[in-house]
Amino acid sequence: MRFGDLSLQVVAGAAAAGTTILVGLIVWKVVDGALPSIRHYGLKFVWTNAWIPVTGHELYGAASFLFGTAVTSLIALALAAPLSLGIAIYLTELAPNFLRGPVTALIETLAAVPSVVIGLWGILVLGPVLRTDVEPKLHSAFGFIPLFGEPSSTGSSMFTAIIVLTFMILPIVSSITRELFLGVPHDQKEGALALGSTHWEMVHGVMFPYARGGIAAALILGLGRALGEAIAVTQVIGGVTGSSGIQWNLFATGDTLASKIAASYQGATTNLQISSLIYLGLILLVFSLFVNFLAQVIVRRVARKQGFGAARV
Amino acid sequence: MPKYGKLTRIGLLAAVAAVLAILAAGTAGAAPAKKTGTTIAGAGSTFVQPLVQQWISPVGSAYGYELQYSGVGSGAGIAAITARTVDFGASDAPMTPDQFTACKGCVQIPWALSATAVIYNLPGTKNLLHINGATLAKIFMGQITQWDDPAIAKLNKNVNLPSTKIATVHRSDNSGTTFNFTDYLSSASASWKSQIGNGVAVSWPNGTGQRGSAGVAAGVAQTPGGIGYVDVAYALHNHLSYFAVQNRSGKFATPGLKGILAAASSDQKPDASNALSIVNPPKKFPLAYPISTYTYVIVPTSTPKAADIRKFLFWAVTKGQTYGPKLLFQPIPKPVLIVAEKTIKKIGS
Amino acid sequence: MSAHGITRAGLQAVNLPRRRVVNRVMQALSTLAAAIAVAALVIIVYAVAKRGAGALDLNLLTKDPANSFSFGPAVKEGLANAFVGSLILVGLATAMTLPIGLLVAIYLVEYAKPSIRAGVTLVLDVLNGVPAIVIGIFVYGLIVVGSGQSGWAGAFALACLMLPLLARSTMEVLLLVPSSLREASLGLGIPRWRTILSIVLPQTLGGVVTGTVLAVARVAGETAPLLFTSSLVGTKTSWDPFHALQSVPVAIFELSEQPDPAAHERAWAAALVLLLFILFSSLTARWFATRSRRKLTAAR
Repeated sequence: MRFGDLSLQVVAGAAAAGTTILVGLIVWKVVDGALPSIRHYGLKFVWTNAWIPVTGHELYGAASFLFGTAVTSLIALALAAPLSLGIAIYLTELAPNFLRGPVTALIETLAAVPSVVIGLWGILVLGPVLRTDVEPKLHSAFGFIPLFGEPSSTGSSMFTAIIVLTFMILPIVSSITRELFLGVPHDQKEGALALGSTHWEMVHGVMFPYARGGIAAALILGLGRALGEAIAVTQVIGGVTGSSGIQWNLFATGDTLASKIAASYQGATTNLQISSLIYLGLILLVFSLFVNFLAQVIVRRVARKQGFGAARV
Repeated sequence: MPKYGKLTRIGLLAAVAAVLAILAAGTAGAAPAKKTGTTIAGAGSTFVQPLVQQWISPVGSAYGYELQYSGVGSGAGIAAITARTVDFGASDAPMTPDQFTACKGCVQIPWALSATAVIYNLPGTKNLLHINGATLAKIFMGQITQWDDPAIAKLNKNVNLPSTKIATVHRSDNSGTTFNFTDYLSSASASWKSQIGNGVAVSWPNGTGQRGSAGVAAGVAQTPGGIGYVDVAYALHNHLSYFAVQNRSGKFATPGLKGILAAASSDQKPDASNALSIVNPPKKFPLAYPISTYTYVIVPTSTPKAADIRKFLFWAVTKGQTYGPKLLFQPIPKPVLIVAEKTIKKIGS
Repeated sequence: MSAHGITRAGLQAVNLPRRRVVNRVMQALSTLAAAIAVAALVIIVYAVAKRGAGALDLNLLTKDPANSFSFGPAVKEGLANAFVGSLILVGLATAMTLPIGLLVAIYLVEYAKPSIRAGVTLVLDVLNGVPAIVIGIFVYGLIVVGSGQSGWAGAFALACLMLPLLARSTMEVLLLVPSSLREASLGLGIPRWRTILSIVLPQTLGGVVTGTVLAVARVAGETAPLLFTSSLVGTKTSWDPFHALQSVPVAIFELSEQPDPAAHERAWAAALVLLLFILFSSLTARWFATRSRRKLTAAR
């Protein structure tokens, strides 16, 4: 083998190996950093609802942040899902031709806005509006539901974070869904219409089932985005107070795994606090990887199915 | 090789030109840099940030040092100097023995003296409403929720207090100002001391958390009914109302130079680690503002920039103090200055 | 067949009026959804544009921030240190990622066995899925502890974020190059390495540029990793990557939490510049991509 060939292969291979080592290094460093806290608390950390950095009484646990992450991400996903589906349907089926390009471009632009800018908008524009108008109205109308409790005092709350996250998930899910819908075979769509179904029944009966797997993957990718979002969330969520982290009121302040790390990491002074924050990062990493993995599995399964599905019909 | 059309080439050229233009503009316009000498970088307390920022220019002209300071909170300052990410750390909360051990050979030097103002945003009222420690504790514990509560009204008989909800704002980051404020609340209220205690971060029962003194000032300024605690310089700079706090002798003291000096007279002997505690001074200091505090600079004794840091710190505790009064930093009293200078001499030994 | 609802309903013409109403309602809801999304975007971009444009002037790019507690007349200030810092951080990150990304893509497409290709692609996907803040913790623990923050640390963190994007997009373009081209070149006696570097790679130039610009647009706005690696900065513009450098997203983040309305204005202005840069880059990249893809497929 010539020298040139050998060198290129070795160097390129080294790059690939280096990437693998990098990922291993990331996982190792995070686990290593969290070890003191893991040794101290074990798995109990996950369901302990406390974060007390007071010297002499230090106690840390992830429960309120897991709760915050779950509530904000899942509700944002629940809000973004129908919106994204609606957008995708509109763009592929309903929009007049001249609007399709511009509206698609606009929605992709939303994906390009950096999270710090959305957070800036959240603090200075969205927060005050929610605090003065929306939350009091929701509270007086639906206050009997514990979700709509005391309105927030400063505009920073889980509710604000949920809205911000919805806007961040929206472009991802809608653009993937749109591509999926574009890929639905024409003959299936026309066949359903020819049988006398209304347009909505065609969408509901043909497009949704066809794209079902892809939509699931898109939703999961959107979830992954919401889980990992630290900056925009920490700007608008207000921070957990005491042990009030787990409660029903959406208008109260809260914290997610990512936002807690962003808020507290720089100022953590004791070893236990630092490693507990990294422990939070480890939990976040595990979730993100799992979500990513799930999306990949679904995509692969769907790809395999589509291969057969078309032939069957 | 694919050829690129004229339009593409012009476009690429324009893009590159734009980037170079930004670079040129940024360099040219941005302060004609002096022949810079050593950079002395520090991080920590937002409490002392106003004063340190005043020092940047005179230190530059006196010694040619480029002084850099990032206000990231006392906790972050201690973390940064422990990790040797900066040349000095600044904290209003004295370091604990564990933190000293982790810092490996650091010394703590009191280098400024000021007060924590309790700020509020209550449209329709004037500056300097009256309050006392017990009431503050109840407010921040959530036991008093409205501004026209009898406890507050009792202290402000001639004021028409609205029934606005109280919105407490506290520091979300590890903060020496929190330490000072909670230290005071623990001293003024036994139930605060037992239920919450003091520290650079505590489990606040309610309210919103903001980063940095600037963040708390922002939170209160943007929230009608808001109440928070910041270095008094921030209160002045942002034109925020602040309380006159009742001290142990029954007088309502304001966080001015006189009140701070009186409080400082209550403890002039730094302990072994150079920490001083001047919150809630006893009755015999009738002018004292009860939420005053020293703030400290933390430096490792062995550092490559020892000589420069010694020069800078000597300047800070002497000439630097003259920049303080405008920002309500009281120059440190002589007994404390002597101890500070002795400790500074230890750097580099 | 999965669409049983249709066949049944199709035979029940009796229900037609109700089905038509449902149809109309759903159409309206979908249009409403699109309208909400567009409205959200317009609201955000409009806010940035309106408030940012008001405060945007050349000072933003040319002057450094002033000390926030200065007395005396208001000083003209800007965010020059942030713009220069961002340029350096992103520039260094690109310089680090580009060669590695290219080499990884070359290895996976030209040399790797299918199993290794699948494996390393999985590794790239995993790297893509790591949240930016965890990357920040990683680089902090790896480089910053003990040595302090630096532009290099920040650039390295950004590079970790860019790598999977670059590698993937380069792989895609490499796969588009027809194998006939490679075979022809090898048939002529040109060594493998020469074939890859001088014949195949140049074909992908458009795609690589696109991928790079998109990756740059992505990390230009990243805040979290820089918070831990390059955030303790002074106000003077610095070109030195061996010390921490200010960056535009971190500056916006810090300014957004200040009480001073003037600080908010600067934040909006910086956000506007950042947004314009990202939009301009993305649009250019996509235009470039469609163009070069057309060329590549035409060449087949």
